[in-house]
Amino acid sequence: MELRLSDLRDGETGVVISIGISRGRGRGAAGRAGRGWGFRKRLEDMGLTPGTRVTVVRSAPLNGPVEVHVRDSRLAIGRGMAERILVEVKR
Amino acid sequence: MTKNRFTVALAGNANVGKSVIFNQLTGLHQHIGNWPGKTVEKAEGTLHFEDYSIDIVDLPGIYSLTTFSLEELISREYIAVERPDLVINIVDASLLERNMFFTLQLLELETPMILALNQIDMAKKKGIRIDHEKLERLLGIPVIPTVAVSGSGIYELLSKAVEVIEKKVEIEPLKAKYGKEIEERIERISSLLEKIQFKYPARWAAIKLLEGDDEVKKEIARINPDIVSAAEKLEKEIEEIHEHSCSTVIASERYEVAGRIAQEVREITPPIRPSTAERIHTLTTHKIYGYPVMVFSVLSIFYLIFTFGDYTSGLLGDSLFGLKPIFEGIFGTGVVGKLFWGGVMEGIIGGATVALPYILPFYFILYFLEDSGYLSRIAFLMDNFMHKIGLHGKAFIPIMLGFGCNVPGCLGCRIMETTRERLLAAFVVTLIPCAATTVIILGLVGAFVGIQWALALYMVDLLIIFFLGRLAFKALPGEPTALIMEMSDYRVPHLKTVLQQTWFKLIEFITMAFPLIIVGSLVIKIVEILNLLEPIANFFSPVTVAWLGLPAITGITLIFGVLRKELTLIMLATLFGTTNFAQVMTPVQMIVFTLVAMLYIPCIATIAVLVKEFGWKKTYFITVFEILLALLLGGVAFRLLSL
Repeated sequence: MELRLSDLRDGETGVVISIGISRGRGRGAAGRAGRGWGFRKRLEDMGLTPGTRVTVVRSAPLNGPVEVHVRDSRLAIGRGMAERILVEVKR
Repeated sequence: MTKNRFTVALAGNANVGKSVIFNQLTGLHQHIGNWPGKTVEKAEGTLHFEDYSIDIVDLPGIYSLTTFSLEELISREYIAVERPDLVINIVDASLLERNMFFTLQLLELETPMILALNQIDMAKKKGIRIDHEKLERLLGIPVIPTVAVSGSGIYELLSKAVEVIEKKVEIEPLKAKYGKEIEERIERISSLLEKIQFKYPARWAAIKLLEGDDEVKKEIARINPDIVSAAEKLEKEIEEIHEHSCSTVIASERYEVAGRIAQEVREITPPIRPSTAERIHTLTTHKIYGYPVMVFSVLSIFYLIFTFGDYTSGLLGDSLFGLKPIFEGIFGTGVVGKLFWGGVMEGIIGGATVALPYILPFYFILYFLEDSGYLSRIAFLMDNFMHKIGLHGKAFIPIMLGFGCNVPGCLGCRIMETTRERLLAAFVVTLIPCAATTVIILGLVGAFVGIQWALALYMVDLLIIFFLGRLAFKALPGEPTALIMEMSDYRVPHLKTVLQQTWFKLIEFITMAFPLIIVGSLVIKIVEILNLLEPIANFFSPVTVAWLGLPAITGITLIFGVLRKELTLIMLATLFGTTNFAQVMTPVQMIVFTLVAMLYIPCIATIAVLVKEFGWKKTYFITVFEILLALLLGGVAFRLLSL
């Protein structure tokens, strides 16, 4: 099923479907494609491209960031950003 | 024999041991500055190898070559425009896939390149073996396995570098191929680009246009806007085929190539037991235990630094002040002598007693923790909390430093990604009570009014920071912040690199802050010699006496406090002729005075850093704002407490 990365339980693995950013050009800095463009790019550069397996290791308490394993590396992703990452999970 | 001079750039992801390699190569022959007009650090160094003199430029640690951050932009412009003779791509052997993603992009810049496969020892511990000869064949460039911390492979790296520069070995770098539908379109755009003069290779620029890179679009539009619109059309077509944005598609395919390479050259046999590094990681990021560990570490660091600082600062101050008779012997006790001693020398002493005892150990511990990997765990734990003031977890590091001294705090804001976040974090840092402010809080309010009032002042300060941080976050335009951070494996810091980084930071601080400190103390000395202190105190009395309800004399001490905040307290004792402040000030006056001293201005060294990092205009704004804020709150506090 389709879930947000932030909804995964500790230890669960999913496959990235997409990273949602608000649509529409304008608003963003220097006419970039919407807010969050840069952050999606950063996530993709760090390996979270569609089709990639990602494992949630643990979440920091009180809606803190999530720690994930992706392509052998360990990343911390802020909660707000993790909510925008859609993943396919087998439950 | 004439020496041949070459330039070599080091490029790679963050945390791959790049700075260790840089330090191994250059030793103390290095120069740390900024990239022209940017607040990004530029480290350069020179080394002599055989008959060659090689300039090494350490590019920032990055993951890609987009315009997401200043660091990435600077790196790609440097490689394309300055054209170093060779790029050494430093790669973490245990994270081959992600590192290859960056390597492929460097190759697209069509620059002569060799690869240092670093930290192979750590990879081995994780059960990763890499066939570096096969990697060499696949990439078409020389690959040298290295262990930077022990220096192994560094000599081979240099010899290979020279061989490649001297064209003794032919290299045929791999050109990563994308899907057919993308390759066709890259082809079409690059054929257009080949007709114009552009600093980047045509194929690279074509790929960047398809990825929607703003900077490249802007620059090409200036030459020929038709190419940009043609590329935008092709970009849309790819988006329609794949139902993902074109930049996503390209990143995915690039990662696919990177993944294939990694799979072909490495063998993994995962260790059975979790390593010590792994266990420390689990403890330090633990939901419950992580926090006490953090609090304990941070407090013990502060305790250590303050104990050390207090002791050495006193020792250093005493011995430097011991020079006074010698100076008076040379320059006399007249105006010249007074100016020279009270102005220049006391300024230098003031700077030295801050820089050496406090800032030096601070930087040392900072780099030690950074190199070990612990700072990123602190950022992980504090992210949620920092979001409440509009910043993300990484900002906790400069703020934590600010409690010791605002100067490294403000400089530490460079770890933030965007200019906006840097400014926001620096603004918050300037409001943090530093060690000197703590001296005032404890020495005046804590000692003469009561420790609960001292703590209350701390709480008030934190509340102010909380509200102003939120306010500034709302007021400053720009993208919202989010934490995206790598937490690399814990490792034993490389002491030599840490010491060198500390040393160069100290030099940076001295050259930045000392001129301002000396000028400032000279100006105050002149004012004192001209007997203008009284008139100035009287001039400020409507504010100090009428509005804040303080003794007029405090106007003078607050002026001195600009040099160093604890001077407000020292001058108070000097001017009153007593250290028993209870005799000369009421408790309310002490609280109001401390509140004002705490907030009213960043000290002159901090101002120097702000100017360097953000320019005069923003510094001016922050300074004026904080003066007004302190006066406003001081006046309100005076009236409330007098009720």
